[in-house]
Amino acid sequence: MTKPAVPVVVTVNLQGKTVELTQLGEDALFGRASYGKYAFAVGCERLFGLLDRHGIKATVFVPGAEAEANPDYVAGLAGRGHEIAAHGWAMEEMDAPGIDERALLERTHCTLTRIVGRAPRGFRAPHGRLTQHTLGHLADLGYRYDASFQDDDHPYRLDADGGRGMIEVPHAEILIDATLYAQRQTRDRVMKMWREEIEAMHRERSLIALTLHPRSDYGSARASRIAALNELLSWLRDLDGVSFLTCQEIADQSGS
Amino acid sequence: MISLAQRKHHPWPDAARCVVGLTLDFDGTSLERGRGQLPLGARSHGRYSAKCGIPRFVEMFTRQNVPWTFYVSGYDAEESPNLVRDISRSGIEIGSHGYLHEGVDPGDAEPELLERTHRLLTEITGIAPKGWRSPSGHKTARTLRKLRELGYVYDSSDKDFDLPYLACYDGEERNDYVCLPNNTSSLDDFPFYRVSYTPPSEVLVHWKQEFDAIYGEGGYFNLTFHPRVGYGSGSPARVAAVEGLIEYAKLHEGVRFVGMLELAQWCLRSPADWRRDWRGQ
Repeated sequence: MTKPAVPVVVTVNLQGKTVELTQLGEDALFGRASYGKYAFAVGCERLFGLLDRHGIKATVFVPGAEAEANPDYVAGLAGRGHEIAAHGWAMEEMDAPGIDERALLERTHCTLTRIVGRAPRGFRAPHGRLTQHTLGHLADLGYRYDASFQDDDHPYRLDADGGRGMIEVPHAEILIDATLYAQRQTRDRVMKMWREEIEAMHRERSLIALTLHPRSDYGSARASRIAALNELLSWLRDLDGVSFLTCQEIADQSGS
Repeated sequence: MISLAQRKHHPWPDAARCVVGLTLDFDGTSLERGRGQLPLGARSHGRYSAKCGIPRFVEMFTRQNVPWTFYVSGYDAEESPNLVRDISRSGIEIGSHGYLHEGVDPGDAEPELLERTHRLLTEITGIAPKGWRSPSGHKTARTLRKLRELGYVYDSSDKDFDLPYLACYDGEERNDYVCLPNNTSSLDDFPFYRVSYTPPSEVLVHWKQEFDAIYGEGGYFNLTFHPRVGYGSGSPARVAAVEGLIEYAKLHEGVRFVGMLELAQWCLRSPADWRRDWRGQ
């Protein structure tokens, strides 16, 4: 009997200058407030270039405002086979006071649909912050899955949480580059941690969900980190029985 | 009265050289609820405990055939009564751990919270808890008074000693209540997985070094871990680190794995052995 495949998803949160724009105006995005601009200047192409060389189709969570500012690039990613999914409008915290989350979800949904030519099927909350209504709104808009939770080894149904007919494709905090790079961990230490966690997840045939950012501060896009990621992906691809999927493919499999 | 310097050897159960207490704090969604947060999205780590982390730990403890102790908050018990009942019925001690894993001293509200959790755990398991571990480490003389009133015989919350000792509060040393210290700076997963973000293999090496030193002197090893992801040890690699420590301890002669209540009752059988020198403290 063959062992079941070990699903791997590579997800990218396409966070550029929308991060800084939550605090500052456009004319203040210089100096230490310029990390976000690195994403579309350098980071995205370095990161997606690497994934393309490995033949890995990523799931890319895109804030509506980032897509609106870079429509051709985002449409191009879809053309290269990556899945484009929603990531809020502009890095708002859904549960912050005064947020009309329904309007922001709809605006993002319409913007991505127009730019990509098809409606996004998945959502990841900016900052991982949801209200008790978020999943219901997503179900109303026809979303198939959410990918914001960090609470399981496998995909699961979201009906009990208000996401009627939806699937959760959970990720793991320790496999988010930002968790570790924001703590100023060295790249070797990040890779050491990832290998140890992934090896053990692979033994138990858990879902392995990597979460990457195309940034030069808390992301993976600088040259030395890309080189480390390249080695990690080569090692990961050689593990017995791994199968690289998009989140939508995971959700479709889980729903059947 | 026996001072630590004179206590190279201690009267552990079965004439063991070293006792090992493995303690798992449930830490489900009670933490987030206690902070007024919804346990959703990036704040969903507590949901991992009941779904994945606790079953993985139970399986590992069963494989290793070692006793352990489970500290549970009232809210988490209400959320997962069957899980808590099943573990209790398997012979594992359930200790109490706050109601909403209170992060700060609840002040005058504390006696009611201790009572509520005590009642809930008693109803769910059919056994009144006799041990308590402070959520987040706060503890006062008021806590001790209430725990004594509820029939508790120990708690595992203090950091000021390497060995069990008789509690001393309101100016009196007690013969019927023992403190079983823990150490959340070093013998705990939180500092390494949340504060320093250390790889599990290095955490295991660190715990082995702690074990070596304690095995060589004192012989009271009390390790705290959590079945969450995030700051806890719920993931496969991190449960494996705890398992690695258990396997390492088993390689040593005279190691006895204990439940914390079992150890507390052992100590209280001869309280005079566990008196501490309080002069100047």
